[in-house]
Amino acid sequence: MDHIMKKLILTLTILMGITLQSFAFCGFYVAKADVSLFNKTSQVILARKGSHTVVTMSNDFSGDVKDFAMVVPVPEVLKREQIRVKNPAIFATFDAYSGPRMTEYYDPEVCAVAYKEYYDYDDVSVNEVQTTSMAPSREFKRMDNVKVEARYSVEEYDVVILSATESGSLEKWLIQNGYKIPTGAKEVLEPYIKNGLNFFVVKVDAEKQKFIGSSTNLRPLQIEYNSSRFMLPIRLGMANSSGTQDLVVYALSEKGRIETTNYRTVEIPTDRDIPLFVKNQGLFGKFYADLFERTYERSSKNNVYLEYSWDASLDQPVKCDPCVGPPPIVTDLTEAGASWIYKNGQLDQSSRVFFTRLHVRYDRAHFPQDLVFQETPNTTRFQGRYVVHNPPYSNSFSCSEGQDYLRKLKSRRADEMVELALLTGWNTWQYKDYLTQYDTYLERGALDETNYDAVLQHGGVNLDQSGETPTWLYILFYSLLFLLPFGKWLFRRFQTIRS
Amino acid sequence: MQSQTLQAQPTLIESLYRAVVKFYRGDARHFQITYLFSFLCYGILALGWEANLLKYAVIFGTCLAVQALGLHLTKKPMSGLKSALITSLGLCLILKANLPVTLALAAALSIGSKFVLRYNNKHIFNPNNFGIIVTMLITGDAWISPGQWGSSTLLLFFIGMLGLVVLFKVGRIDTSLAFLGTFAVLQFAKVVLWQGWPMDFFFHQFTSGTLLLYSFFMITDPVTTPNAPKARILWAAGIALVSFILTNWLFLHTAPIWALFFIAPVTVFLDKKFKHKQFQWTTS
Repeated sequence: MDHIMKKLILTLTILMGITLQSFAFCGFYVAKADVSLFNKTSQVILARKGSHTVVTMSNDFSGDVKDFAMVVPVPEVLKREQIRVKNPAIFATFDAYSGPRMTEYYDPEVCAVAYKEYYDYDDVSVNEVQTTSMAPSREFKRMDNVKVEARYSVEEYDVVILSATESGSLEKWLIQNGYKIPTGAKEVLEPYIKNGLNFFVVKVDAEKQKFIGSSTNLRPLQIEYNSSRFMLPIRLGMANSSGTQDLVVYALSEKGRIETTNYRTVEIPTDRDIPLFVKNQGLFGKFYADLFERTYERSSKNNVYLEYSWDASLDQPVKCDPCVGPPPIVTDLTEAGASWIYKNGQLDQSSRVFFTRLHVRYDRAHFPQDLVFQETPNTTRFQGRYVVHNPPYSNSFSCSEGQDYLRKLKSRRADEMVELALLTGWNTWQYKDYLTQYDTYLERGALDETNYDAVLQHGGVNLDQSGETPTWLYILFYSLLFLLPFGKWLFRRFQTIRS
Repeated sequence: MQSQTLQAQPTLIESLYRAVVKFYRGDARHFQITYLFSFLCYGILALGWEANLLKYAVIFGTCLAVQALGLHLTKKPMSGLKSALITSLGLCLILKANLPVTLALAAALSIGSKFVLRYNNKHIFNPNNFGIIVTMLITGDAWISPGQWGSSTLLLFFIGMLGLVVLFKVGRIDTSLAFLGTFAVLQFAKVVLWQGWPMDFFFHQFTSGTLLLYSFFMITDPVTTPNAPKARILWAAGIALVSFILTNWLFLHTAPIWALFFIAPVTVFLDKKFKHKQFQWTTS
């Protein structure tokens, strides 16, 4: 018996050793940046197989619910069973799973000490906005050129499917029937009418909203339809808005990544080493928000950013690495519309689900067209991942390797500061103690004379100086290429001028 | 006096430079190789495409190997390898795949089609186009990212200008203009006049780098386009019409590429109807 126990303990120890090692390799998840950091953010889940699309819409509307109105162009007159109200938790799950992540590594002990493990886990808090109001539903005012194709009461929502032949009438109809739509909606509605689309128009039935309970925000609405069009109409939301809006799209598909076909889909900067204080001072959320802002500002402002792409199939052992939140489970996937994981009522373990997260900041000037998507067979994994390194936990650096380590640490930290300034544009001068933090452990004479202060940014990084190759360089390059074949001619001209 | 001495005794650098320029201007394909290569550099450096050297090497290796084999079997001069370089660059710019073997297949199909699918000394299909479409259809592992170039107007200027240079040398500018012109008129009528989208909606589509690259570098291949100028204009307008239908009613994002696939073989009939001298690559 004793013998068996010993064997068991030995096996367990070995197993634990392996697990610890593999953890040390992958890094720990310590923080994440969730969507709540961005203002005016809408979230949409798209699940698409063939021409069947399921769209789940969540919005951050936080005003009086009687002012809430949503108009979505849809390709067909939706039936009652094609419209559902969903639990907002699904968005939280998807956001937590696919959000940008910070991972943490520990440098191995340089001077021998006992191993001790340590890591932090930040809890996620969800802010809920309380809404209470009432607005009784009533009969619609009639209007020529506008037809009410269907009207449903979907839990707390009052849903109407409209078809129209003229945009002016549609705008009037909406206003007269108490829908708060932005002025200038007429011009934006027109092309959709001409395209033969119907309108899915939503208002909140305040009575029912009250009954369902005031503790919840407006719940997500889900619609499904069949259409070759695979797009999200963003133009309607920009009818009267000059500012930028953020949209996060979680897409579920069968083959691989979803990308936009009429805008560039660009990967967000990833796998960067950033300073440890970003974690220790709880700055990761701000870090990612500023990174996104700066990436956007430095771009042509009409890109769609890829934040995550991973195979989330049921049989996939590694659904994320490191995981920020629990990967979506069967119910999450079916709730979101990936109904293809069931075949003949049976859960099909071999079915494929690919998860893509896109983040777009759009405005009227840079996004003249709606977002059009395509599914590609691209199964390459991607995640927004930022790494912090902890010095050995013991703080014992008295051996000569320890002293070497400290010098390397200082130069590495200087690099991290440069990276931080480039990614976020932060003024890193305020964190200058980070560079000298371990100087106290340096012995006399071993002090590094390099002046790392030069790498610190006093006023943030100038937007023009950083990273990307300036446009004029390309112009010069192409001009030279263009002139190359005419060199002979130019040479002769040059000679003529000289003589 | 000074210039006479200069002309009488050119320095080593000068004569070397002249030799290079003479060689370079001797074949229009040199222009095409330079410009397609510069687009690839632009994509990787400025647009941040993922530069997978293995995949590029597979494309170039397969194209050159198949071309060399084909040239050997048909007993043609090895200068034909330049065409394989153009095909390789075209594939690197347009086609993407998970597996290198898929790209090898596309490369082999592209070059193979030039030697097998030919009629009257001309290719029935545009080599790149054939390779891309067939690979996408049979493997399901390959795709095109039409949004990869973005819609920067600067790029419009440069691709347009560089395209013009190449085409003036080859004499196929009519094809590009007929295609773009017809497509733009049809699209303008539908999108702006009929549906009422603002002008920037329309411009967004026509400043797409993918469309311009296609118009100036893909459909203008002189060995696939009809010989007679009149026939070329008809042919390009036909592609534009099919692209218009595929874009607006079947919502195909890469409509022009599919349109070219279907319309390219029509060249055989157009060449019979409109007699004209056939194109030869080398000018020397």
